[in-house]
Amino acid sequence: MKKTGTSDGVSIMSEKERKRAARSVKKTDNNLVWLWHNMEGFRGIYFLAILGTLLYNALQLVVPYFSAQLVDRFLAGSDAAYNLTNHRDQFFLLLELMVGLTIFRVIIVYLDCVAYERVSQGVLYRVRNFLFDKIQRQDMKFYNTFRTGDLMTRVTGDLDAVRHMIAWVVRMVVEACALLLATGTYFFLMNWKLALCLLAVAPVLFVLIYRFKVQVKPMHQLLREKLAGMNTIAQENISGNRVVKAFAREDYEIERFDVGNRDYRDTNIKTAYTWLAYYPYIESLANLLPVIQLLAGGLFLIAGDLTMGEYVAFSGLTWAIANPMRQLGNIMNEFQRFSAASRKVMEIYYAEPDIVDPENPLEHTGRFDGLIEFRDVSFSYEDSNLPVLKHITFTAKPGETVAIMGETGCGKTSLIHLIPRFYEPTEGEVLIDGHNVNEYTLKDLRGGIGLATQDVLLYSDSIDGNIAYGDSHISREEVVKFARYSAADEFIAKMPEGYDTIVGERGVGLSGGQKQRISLARALAVKPSILILDDTTSAVDLETEKEIQHSLRELSFPCTKLIIAQRISTTKTADQILIMQHGEITERGTHEELIKKGGYYAELVKLQTGM
Amino acid sequence: MARNTYKEDERLDEPFQLKHLLRASGYIKAYTKQMTAALILSAFGGAAALVSPMLIQHALDDAIPAKNTVLLFQLVGALVFFYALSVILTTVRSRIMVKVSQNIIYNIRKDLFAHLQKLPFQYYDDRPHGKILIRVVNYVNSVSDMLSNGLINLILEILNLVFIVIFMFLVDVKLSLVVLAGVPVLMAFMFWIKNRQRKAWQQVSNKNSNLNAYLQENIVGARITQIFAREDENAEIFRGLSDDCRRTWMRAIRYSTSVWPGIDTISVLVRAAIYLCALLLFGNGNTSLGVILAISSYASRFWQPIMNLGNIFNNFLNNMAYLERIFETIDEPVTVDDLPDAGELPPITGRVDFENVSFSYEKGKEVLHGVSFTVNPGESVALVGPTGAGKSTIVSLLSRFYNLDSGRILIDGTDISKVTLHSLRSQMGIMLQDSFIFSGTIEDNIRYGKLDATLDEIRKASRTVCADEFISAMKDGYASEVKERGSLLSQGQKQLISFARTLLSDPAILVLDEATSSIDVQTEKALQQGLNAMLKGRTSFVIAHRLSTIVGCDKIMYIDHGGIVEAGTHEELMAKKGAYYQLYTAQIEDVGPMTA
Repeated sequence: MKKTGTSDGVSIMSEKERKRAARSVKKTDNNLVWLWHNMEGFRGIYFLAILGTLLYNALQLVVPYFSAQLVDRFLAGSDAAYNLTNHRDQFFLLLELMVGLTIFRVIIVYLDCVAYERVSQGVLYRVRNFLFDKIQRQDMKFYNTFRTGDLMTRVTGDLDAVRHMIAWVVRMVVEACALLLATGTYFFLMNWKLALCLLAVAPVLFVLIYRFKVQVKPMHQLLREKLAGMNTIAQENISGNRVVKAFAREDYEIERFDVGNRDYRDTNIKTAYTWLAYYPYIESLANLLPVIQLLAGGLFLIAGDLTMGEYVAFSGLTWAIANPMRQLGNIMNEFQRFSAASRKVMEIYYAEPDIVDPENPLEHTGRFDGLIEFRDVSFSYEDSNLPVLKHITFTAKPGETVAIMGETGCGKTSLIHLIPRFYEPTEGEVLIDGHNVNEYTLKDLRGGIGLATQDVLLYSDSIDGNIAYGDSHISREEVVKFARYSAADEFIAKMPEGYDTIVGERGVGLSGGQKQRISLARALAVKPSILILDDTTSAVDLETEKEIQHSLRELSFPCTKLIIAQRISTTKTADQILIMQHGEITERGTHEELIKKGGYYAELVKLQTGM
Repeated sequence: MARNTYKEDERLDEPFQLKHLLRASGYIKAYTKQMTAALILSAFGGAAALVSPMLIQHALDDAIPAKNTVLLFQLVGALVFFYALSVILTTVRSRIMVKVSQNIIYNIRKDLFAHLQKLPFQYYDDRPHGKILIRVVNYVNSVSDMLSNGLINLILEILNLVFIVIFMFLVDVKLSLVVLAGVPVLMAFMFWIKNRQRKAWQQVSNKNSNLNAYLQENIVGARITQIFAREDENAEIFRGLSDDCRRTWMRAIRYSTSVWPGIDTISVLVRAAIYLCALLLFGNGNTSLGVILAISSYASRFWQPIMNLGNIFNNFLNNMAYLERIFETIDEPVTVDDLPDAGELPPITGRVDFENVSFSYEKGKEVLHGVSFTVNPGESVALVGPTGAGKSTIVSLLSRFYNLDSGRILIDGTDISKVTLHSLRSQMGIMLQDSFIFSGTIEDNIRYGKLDATLDEIRKASRTVCADEFISAMKDGYASEVKERGSLLSQGQKQLISFARTLLSDPAILVLDEATSSIDVQTEKALQQGLNAMLKGRTSFVIAHRLSTIVGCDKIMYIDHGGIVEAGTHEELMAKKGAYYQLYTAQIEDVGPMTA
């Protein structure tokens, strides 16, 4: 993850890309309009691709004409022998035309397909990147709404349906329309009566296709729900594999997945059967064409309203009407798949977090002084009726260490989450350096804060890359320095590959205490003006913890520290200790003051020292 | 094996794919009957469709010139009949095949998932989870059509081809040879493209896998991204991965797209060659006009199945990359598995013996060396020591999450490697450092410990661990929905829920691995009381740093340097004035002089 080289040129590109997307966020409900917006820059080549489709279909209609001529005049006709001896040049000309035009057509087909693929990949690339960026900038509300498996389905499976729309569905529509139109026109010009007889099937066809569309649409929505459901079960099973094994719940999990798997299969079968209920009728209509041709054409021939040559021309081109007809159902199916999927994609595409940059952000450069103020702050989660924080007021002066203690679920973590604006207070203000945190851009605000969360999440990357996560440009020496601060250098250095050791997802392979120390080093590595430790040393042994406390006092940069902890040894030397109970600060003061006071804190000290 | 990350492609050692096709045929075998039926239906459907040109020819040659409307109507009637027959047969075939192909996917996916459940921690530790997920969901979807319809069409086209070749040779051997002359060219073309195309699609699957891995990690780690304000850089990395996908796709698609035009070109050249030959032969007067006509019409009919075969082959190559990955996972060796003659572990009374246990995660890096100890039924054992000393390892060996390098672990005198994993693990209650919460209700999450638990039992377990209070205070109480990475629960609350889950499973041996690290001391004290009553008579292992948690245990083992440094009761170890004594006094001293 480290040192991937953020070359300026590329990041300007991305800025441009974001602006482009912002422009196209003329929010639309129409998925085709949405698609059109995202095809910006590819529309020219797409137009050429469509022309290419018309061209190769035209060639498809023309080439057989030359080979038919060849056969008629030089091989099968009654004067074939004469023609062969006297018009050899024409024979070769026709042969060359047949071969040459076929090769020409084949080249066009190839280039055309590649062009469609290029456009579709280009759009896929753009939308996928946009979605990724969108997802990672969402606030916590979003993450409480969407499950991981569902989000992944949107960025992979659903986007693939969008890609398929551009690469295949549109091409098929163009092809079908082109063939139908060209052949239809040709038929009308040649013999409008027979043409009319043939086209009589069209209204029936359209009614059928329309009814099919109505029926299959909900199926595709259901299908993609089932896919997301199955994806979620599998994803959580893989992520939670330790719990599964610890409880020997493999059979239960297999059973659970089987329900999802079976559901998905059955919905797939149902969707296919919906099509198969229409297929016989549509196929019959397509087959009706040669029948009508024979019957009506035959009668016209007998009546003398049609020449044999015309009849042969008609029958030679029946496929050019029948094939697109057969294709229509398939096209509609794929189109509905696109519809269902694009809705899901657009939901994320247009998702806007509630917590965003202010319109006129405060100019901020360099470091914060580190003055943190909570003024009468109250907070509750949206989907809960209980206030989590009630009238919290306190000040942390630059460079101070403030310890926060309290029972599980008393609101400590919620409190510190208000500082980087993961949530907004429902009442009151949180200020840094005298300004409300919502006056800074999120980047400036969060850039000045180092937070080591409770739930340690490391990435499958080298230890070096994990520590340098917040600032990938720092040198190895610095990485080692921060690892020393968090007492992690010793065990890292002992590993066979040292700082280059790859830790698995969520840092598997490391003990809880080791993970916490890496997470601490990661928070320190951004040299934050404000350091927040959310119970970061709970799994670290006491000796090591002491070491960490010591180095935290001697950081090479000025820093205000907010530390949530359970251990007295951590909080003892804090400038200020806040005791929280049920969302309120009930005691505050230094270690000595609070012991004297004889409240909750004094009780804790007694408990922990066993005295 | 080094761990895989989103940055690296997964290696693939398999050189050839025939093996996988044979493997795949195992899944098809179960549906031989349906497939055969579908094949026969297709053959008849095809034959019915073939009759129609003959009927039309008959009408044109006889009925129309003779102005015989009756015959015309009769022929049209016959035509309708055969078309209808063909439509019905095809519809029935499609209905059968939809079921078959969906069932094949279902079965592959089921086996894949079931096998994943058997794979040890190591497997999950060694690669990003997104890379496992993509195999289960996305890859399996891709191969279904190839295994069902692909196979039937393959057989049909080959049959078709054989018939045409036989007819062609019956008509004229020399001209047939001209037609067949195109085949080696075609073979050479296909051979040239085969390996390139396969490699290209393997690349596509690798790059997609990388992208999926990165995507998953970033959705899960969104909060980390935000606090480090690393969105721009992550977007950059994702763009790089996305670009890899696009590039490899375009490369692969160029090969795939060229197959059809390639065959088309060869086909038109062959036809031209026939005409030229005909011209020469005609000059010699050796060949009749009819023969040339016949051959030239067979030639175009000969190429149709060839083109279709090319298409099927193309499809096979595209999907082989996915099939290989699927079977690679299904074939992944299960290192921790039941022995063939494994018996059930009888209900545990609780004696645990470690006999000279050595263990290493990676070869040559021993984590435990010759560890031996005995725990009597009902005893509580605390494991203390520096982080990374091997405490968690000892307890995970007890559940046989890993195999030992040497030595034995006995429960009630039975070697745990000789009994079924299920009988062992279902009697153990392990609370891990990471408390994983599934998306669903809180009730469901706790019920995971005992699937048939009533709500009363769940409440009781929650009360024991002091979780009932905060759960009841939530809007929907026990029915509150939580998400895997939802933030509605604090870490301490998650631990309490997972604690309740463990208790509910009513384990014979309880293992608490830093189970209470995020729970405050007050709550822990209250919890301890409920727990003590419950634990009476059960063997338990506790890993903790907090001395208040440790002091009350029957036995304390100080673990360091891959072994037990000291063992005994709190009093014994204090009297010994060794490592434990230092640890203990450090904490007391650290708090400083107590006033009050």
